[in-house]
Amino acid sequence: MEVRLEGLTKKFTDVVAVDNVSVVFPSGKLTGLLGPSGCGKSTTLFLLAGLYNPTEGKIFFGDEEVTEIPPEKRGIGLVFQNYALYPHMSVEKNIMFPLENMKMPKAEAKQIAYEMAKLVQIEELLDRKPKQLSGGQQQRVAIARALAKKPRVLLLDEPLSNLDARLRLQTREEIKRIQRETGITTIFVTHDQEEAMSISDQIIVMEKGIINQVDLPQKLYNDPINLFVAKFLGNPPINVVEAEIVNKVLVVNNKKTIKVDLPNQKVKLGFRPEDVRIDPNGPLEANIYMVEMVGRDTSILCTINNEKIRGIIDSEIEVNVGDNIKFDLRKQRFYLFEYNTGARLR
Amino acid sequence: MFENKHNWKGYLYLAPALILILIFIIYPLFNTFLTSFKENYQFMTGEYDGFSIQHYMDVFKSSKFKVAFKNTMILTIISVPVSIVIALLISVGLNSIKRLQGFLQTIFFLPYVTNVIAIGLVFQFMFNHNYGIINTVIGWFGIGPVHWMDAYASYGEAMAVIIIYSIWSSLPFKIMVFLSGLQTIDKQYYQAAQIDATPKWRVFLRITVPLLSPMIMYITITSFMGAFKTYEHVLSLFGDGGTAGDPGNLKTMVWYIYEALDSSKKGSVAVASASAVVLFIVIMIFTAIQMYINKKRVHY
Repeated sequence: MEVRLEGLTKKFTDVVAVDNVSVVFPSGKLTGLLGPSGCGKSTTLFLLAGLYNPTEGKIFFGDEEVTEIPPEKRGIGLVFQNYALYPHMSVEKNIMFPLENMKMPKAEAKQIAYEMAKLVQIEELLDRKPKQLSGGQQQRVAIARALAKKPRVLLLDEPLSNLDARLRLQTREEIKRIQRETGITTIFVTHDQEEAMSISDQIIVMEKGIINQVDLPQKLYNDPINLFVAKFLGNPPINVVEAEIVNKVLVVNNKKTIKVDLPNQKVKLGFRPEDVRIDPNGPLEANIYMVEMVGRDTSILCTINNEKIRGIIDSEIEVNVGDNIKFDLRKQRFYLFEYNTGARLR
Repeated sequence: MFENKHNWKGYLYLAPALILILIFIIYPLFNTFLTSFKENYQFMTGEYDGFSIQHYMDVFKSSKFKVAFKNTMILTIISVPVSIVIALLISVGLNSIKRLQGFLQTIFFLPYVTNVIAIGLVFQFMFNHNYGIINTVIGWFGIGPVHWMDAYASYGEAMAVIIIYSIWSSLPFKIMVFLSGLQTIDKQYYQAAQIDATPKWRVFLRITVPLLSPMIMYITITSFMGAFKTYEHVLSLFGDGGTAGDPGNLKTMVWYIYEALDSSKKGSVAVASASAVVLFIVIMIFTAIQMYINKKRVHY
């Protein structure tokens, strides 16, 4: 079921949470809605669920417009951030609850609850109460409950934010597996770029209620549309240094560096830490103030004219704090952004 | 820091409260129990002729006690469950509205801060046979006029007024507790229920009531205790504790205890003590039953 938003806007009393958003969530795919807190991603999700009514715009599930349809008739499954499992019901009762609302015979509901539990691999926990489960198990119960009534669209609100780091890795693979197995159109909200990158088929990056970029995860990383997207994706984050273009040469810290075919202007230079290559003949220069040895890589923290940057280099290269280093960028991978708006120039 | 098991300072801070509780609650409690067994107990001199269960026999044989016991039971068993259900419905209603919520909350809370005797007077006007608003309203539906509280009122009519009064005056506290309980329930439960197309009554019975069950249990137990101790409600409505046709027929157990205390007869304090112990045991049994039932139904 393809989900489509057309000019969707949601205004709260004095804030525009979602601002004229038009986007397509492809059928049978896992789409990540990514952005910092307060960017309108959860509002978008609740608009899709029907828990909020849009101020303007339309929502389509396939060819059917659902903008005016109440949540219970949209055929959606929603997994809340804190799961919202009914604490007084057993896991089985929780999963059966939506089915009982549909007046399904008890035996059939029980059967489906078991199948769902099996899908999310918690079938041995059916008699437990939510409190007796770990965060990851509760998450699975919530997914099972959302899937039990065979929704057209599965919505997940920050599904991994309440889990510890180890469980997070495990659970995100689990979500991907469940989504693949069921083939259900899934939309999930997250502020964690790594999470979005690792499991999404498509990512929508939002900022201040506006969609910045809609793309495949790797494309977003390699080809960000603006400074915000470039900064938001990647860990450690992208390095940003002030620079100026003078006569088609990029000037960084008063030194001519790389040729660029752009008119004279102030810009922001962005490059990824992993693209830093120490090279005595390299065009860029920095001063090391800290060296972090992390397993196979060495992370060097440097300053260029008081701006902090990070480079990840091969651990075999010997560097010391206080060294002035020259470096190049691998495959000439760098980005130039307009100084004020952050729009991508190159 | 290190745990200090003999932190005498702590006891020092508790002392003022503990001393008062010992003098005014613990000591009287034990003394009442003891007194109830003393024969020919003289309150002024403290003299008595040994222990027996004679006063308990007297209490159980007393026709006045039987009436008081019956009245208290009828009043409690009807007014407590009914007021809990009404309070629950009002709280859920109040919790679901936004406009006028504060105003309506104040209105529902007013009986709590109003003087019992004043309310009794107002009730006497409202339930007046000739010009009371109650008879006027039910008259529109062709019912009545009912005597309620006047000289010709029957036992049933008078009891109905007492029950209505008890229910109404006990609502504010219950509503306050339920409302604060409802406000702690995570809204996401209701959103989840809405997305799962849960009918309203099912949301109420399967989600609201279970999640509110600790409050409901607290209110049930304290309300039963309170209702068993009813005295001032009857006093403010029927000053002489009975209908004209049958004096004293509306008195409650606390009234009986009070009257036993009051009589100048020798050993009367011991009789009052015995009846107080009986009331205590009745309340204890009821509380124990509720605790037992609730154990299986309350979800913390």
